[in-house]
Amino acid sequence: MVDWDGEFTVFQPAAGKTHFLNEMGLQVLILLDQSPATLERLCQLLAEHFSLLLDESFMQQIQQTLHRFEALGLVAYVNFSQ
Amino acid sequence: MKVEQLSLEEFRARLGSKNGLRIQFGPFVVRIQSFLPSLANPLYRLYAFYTLANDDIAEFHVQIVSKRSLRRPFTPFVQFLVDGQAPFPAAPVHHALTMLEWGINLAIAVRVNHFLLFHCAAVERNGHVLLLPAWPGSGKTTLCAALIHHGYRLFSDEFGLMHVQSGNFFPLPRLMPLKNQAIGAIRDFLPEVTLGPEIHGTLKGTVAHVRPPEASIDREDEPAIPRWIVFPKWTAHQPLQLEEMPRSEAFLLLASNAFNYEVLGEVAFDAVTGLIQRCECRKLVYSDFDSALVALNALTDD
Repeated sequence: MVDWDGEFTVFQPAAGKTHFLNEMGLQVLILLDQSPATLERLCQLLAEHFSLLLDESFMQQIQQTLHRFEALGLVAYVNFSQ
Repeated sequence: MKVEQLSLEEFRARLGSKNGLRIQFGPFVVRIQSFLPSLANPLYRLYAFYTLANDDIAEFHVQIVSKRSLRRPFTPFVQFLVDGQAPFPAAPVHHALTMLEWGINLAIAVRVNHFLLFHCAAVERNGHVLLLPAWPGSGKTTLCAALIHHGYRLFSDEFGLMHVQSGNFFPLPRLMPLKNQAIGAIRDFLPEVTLGPEIHGTLKGTVAHVRPPEASIDREDEPAIPRWIVFPKWTAHQPLQLEEMPRSEAFLLLASNAFNYEVLGEVAFDAVTGLIQRCECRKLVYSDFDSALVALNALTDD
């Protein structure tokens, strides 16, 4: 991973792809790399980290980011109920 | 021995022989074969300064052959072949030179993986390389033609050949295809330049090739390290702007227009990262060559 003054390039060896992330995207990956989390818990951690208001709009934005990351193979959905 | 040391008849005979005409283009030897009479004259003039690679193994074996079309049986067509295969359809016979040049470039673009291959022009000044990446409306070939006739050494108008281990770029000074209005612009700005015939009706409109300066071809075995990456954009009637470009944006543009970035994978990622970290990255908007030259000279002054 390379830090370009707040924007990041990450090489994903398994897929051979390069990804461009902002600080929020990177933090999503860092938090999920540490431990799986629900959308609510992830948004709570992100809102604390970036001192942002935890509202519906913010959660929708993070959910969209997770969908994009899932499509790219960067994150995977885990069923907590099992 | 250079091509110009052959007579035209000797040149024509080699081109049509079984062994073909073997030319050194930077790090590559290309074996060219053609019996087409109309190709020999312009090729002899435009290839005059290249070195004949008589005994070296050729990396690329290319041919321009006559072809008859069933649809248009009375119109002469030609076909480009590399290792006997046709990568694109036949074209009218007067397109032979553009087919040959595009075909050789295509063969390099798809087959060379021991270099990281950027789609960009590259020139050298004061011992360091200036990269001019291709992006829509960049006019890189036109700007490159202006630069190499004002103190810059041509590496290539099409390929940045990066040796990923050393970070060196290798010259590949091939003919430079000007298109449409760029032909007149260069004729006006550089009356001394040697241009090939104007070839009309190609896929990219009218094309004429600039012969690289002899001094650039003579030094085609001298690599250098890049120090500047400038993304040019020609815009009519715009005042000149040469502004810093965010490195993340430069990375994105450079990596996404490398021919074999995905093939080389992490090696390419590391190489582009190192390249961007070592270079000054700028955006250039220009509408005339004189002001662009002043700005680029100031950037590349020692």
